[in-house]
Order: sequence, then C-alpha cells, then structure tokens
Amino acid sequence: MEEEQEFIQSGILELYVIGDVTPDEKKLVEERAVKNPAVKAEISAIEYAMEKYASLNAVHRADELQLKIMDTILPEDEKSTVIDPTIAVNPTMNTIAANHMVTGIPDQSAKIKKLYFALAACVALLIISTAALYSAHNDLGNAKEQIFALSQDKEKYAQNASYMTQQNEELQTMADMPSDPDWKTIKLAGTKMDPKAKMVVYWHTSGQHVMVDTKKMGLPANDELHQYQLWALVNGKPVDLGVFDAKADSAHILVKMKEIAGAQAFAVTLEKRGGAINPTMEQMIAMGAVTI
Amino acid sequence: MYSAALFGVISRIIPNTEVAEDLLQETFIKIWNSGAYYDSSKGRLFTWMMNIARNLSIDKLRSKDFKNSNKNQDIENNVDFIDAQREVTFNADTLGLKEMVVALKPEYNDVLNMVYFRGYTHAEAAEELNLPLGTVKTRIRMAILELRKHFN
Repeated sequence: MEEEQEFIQSGILELYVIGDVTPDEKKLVEERAVKNPAVKAEISAIEYAMEKYASLNAVHRADELQLKIMDTILPEDEKSTVIDPTIAVNPTMNTIAANHMVTGIPDQSAKIKKLYFALAACVALLIISTAALYSAHNDLGNAKEQIFALSQDKEKYAQNASYMTQQNEELQTMADMPSDPDWKTIKLAGTKMDPKAKMVVYWHTSGQHVMVDTKKMGLPANDELHQYQLWALVNGKPVDLGVFDAKADSAHILVKMKEIAGAQAFAVTLEKRGGAINPTMEQMIAMGAVTI
Repeated sequence: MYSAALFGVISRIIPNTEVAEDLLQETFIKIWNSGAYYDSSKGRLFTWMMNIARNLSIDKLRSKDFKNSNKNQDIENNVDFIDAQREVTFNADTLGLKEMVVALKPEYNDVLNMVYFRGYTHAEAAEELNLPLGTVKTRIRMAILELRKHFN
C-alpha cells in the first residue's frame, strides 16, 4: 500500500495523463492501473480534472472549420465502423487516397479534358474562319474585277450612245435642211492648187449657222502643223469662220463654224495650225459662190 | 463538443491559426482512423484524443518545414512569435480563467501550462525554469490536485 501511495505521489500519473512519459513508463503505469484500483481511480480523477481544465481553456472556432471537419469525416462514416485493428491504418490510408482519387484527380483531369476540347474547338473554328475569310477575299477580288469590267463596258456604251445621239441630231439637222428654205448648200470646187478638191458648206441665212459636212469633204488630209481655214467673202473682204481638220475618222458629220450674217462666197485655205488673220491666197484650195 | 477544447490545446502549441486549424483537422482524421486503438479501460476518451492532438502539434512544432516557415515570417510577426515563445505565464484575460488562476499558485500555473498547453516535456520545463526535475514533477502534481479540488 505504501508503495502504491509513493507511486501515486511521485507525479508520474499526472505526466502519464498529460502524455509526457516514455513508452516504458507508460507500460508501467498501465500495468499498475490494472493491478491496483486506487491507481486507476487516481488516473481517472486526474483525467477528469484535465478534461475540465481543457474545456475551460477551449478556443471556439468559426463554424466554417467545423463544417470542414465534418465534411472530411462524414464520407468515411459510410465505410465500416468496425475497423479491423490489423489493417486499420493501411485501409484508411487507402480510403484517403481513394477519396483523393475520386474527388481530386478525376475532377482535375475532367477539367483538363474539357479545356482540351475547348482548345480543339477553338483551333477548328480558327481554321474554318481563316478559310472562309480567304475564300471571301477571293470572291471579293473577282467581284471587284467584274465591277471594273462592267463599268468599263458601261462607259463604252454610254460613249457610244452619246456619239450616236449626236450623230442622230446632226443627221436630223441634215434631214431637215431640204424642207427649210433658209438652209443654203454651197458646193466648193477645187482651185488651181488642187483641182480635185471639193467640199460642202451649209449656211442658214436667217439663223446665221455655218456648218462643214465632213462626209462630203474631198480635201487631202492636213498634217499636224497645218489646218484648213474657212473664209466667207463679204463684199469682197474675207471674214474668218474658223479652222477644221480633214480627217477620215471624224466623230462628227457636221462641224459647226463661226456664224455669219451675209456672204457672197466661201473659200478654204490651208494655213498654219490655229488659223491666220488674213487668208494666204496662194494656199486657197477650194471656193464656191453662194447661189441665191 | 471536444473540438473547441482540442483546438485550445493545439492553438497554444501552434500560435499560427491557419496551421492550428489544419492540425485540428488532422487530429480528427487521425482520431477517426485509429478509433479501433482506443481502449476505454485505459482512460478517458478525451485524454486519448488530447494526446493525439498534442503529439501532432508537437511533431509539427519540431518539424523542419514549420521551423523554416517561421524563419520566413516578417520581422513584425517574428517579434510576436518570439514573445509567444518566451511567454511562460498564462494570459488569463484571454482565456476567461481569472477565477481559476487565482485558485492556482503562479508557480504551479506556470509549470502546468508549460507542460499541458505549450508542449514542453517536464524535463524541458525544468531546464527552462532552472528547477530540479523533482520540483517540476511535484508542482505539476500539486497544480492538478488544486484543479481536482476545484472541479470535484
């Protein structure tokens, strides 16, 4: 009994409860406790006191942590509540590992898989868009070429149409001439300079219009430095009526000259380009009198 | 219901709240996983759980990575940490234990808390307080006897 009292009073039981004993001491205390109820009772009393003391020193945590802990523990609840001591540690290690496998890694790999899919989709989309853009660009180029060709065609037709309209007007003018007594047709015949030369001038006596008919012109083609100049003889004096070219492919049938109110005769001289103030008589190529 | 008491123990050994929370979780996992090892004839459940929490905390405190992580703390935190390391007396105000502490003599209180809450072995406490080992043991026993008187 005395020995037990000494053992109890040595303070080893307190250290045992606190956990500050060597494995040998622990074994010793547990053996004594089994043999002696007084030792066991003493241990219980110390444990109770320390538990109370710890409770008084408790630090309360946020609910969050408790939930976190419950989350960690509860899933394992479904597993065997009776754990075989011989395999207690390893299987639980495995279940922890398994939990990681179930909740952690596949989750991760599923995410990665998803990301890969998204990436592949993006790349496919990019390729398709590039192809579409390229073909659209080509189409656009073709369309531009077509538009250019069409606008050129249109321009040509418009030119053609305006040319025809003009010619039509001129032809109309010529067609109207016979019915209008004011229109005089003056035929100019070649002079000594070129006996074969000939041309026709239309003169509207009241409207004072003077026109040269290019289709009925029989003058040798002039060069770049010279032009033909039409003159009207008014009371024996030559009056300038403007210059014209003798060309095969003239756009106009009728070339309008300067107006003149009255004239007895018309004459054409070959002058330097732009015309002269006074006619060069030696260069007179054709002449015709007005017959009233 | 034990979690607050266990956290009280852990957080006194490991002042860093985050690490202490991790340790509490680890403690519960260990308690759950090794439930088969608990022998009710050998002692109270709380004592067993408390020792698991305590051992995990002390292991952590002495582990290389924890020491390193403390080395990496900023100077300001470090001052606190060193203060906390040196502080032997209990801050009764923060624990709501004024009444209790009055009941315990300061010399008992110091030794008990060093061993029970701060993770010292009684040998380390003796060295720290410059006391003979037997005196430390006696003081622990006397302190617990005081507590027993108070609780029973």
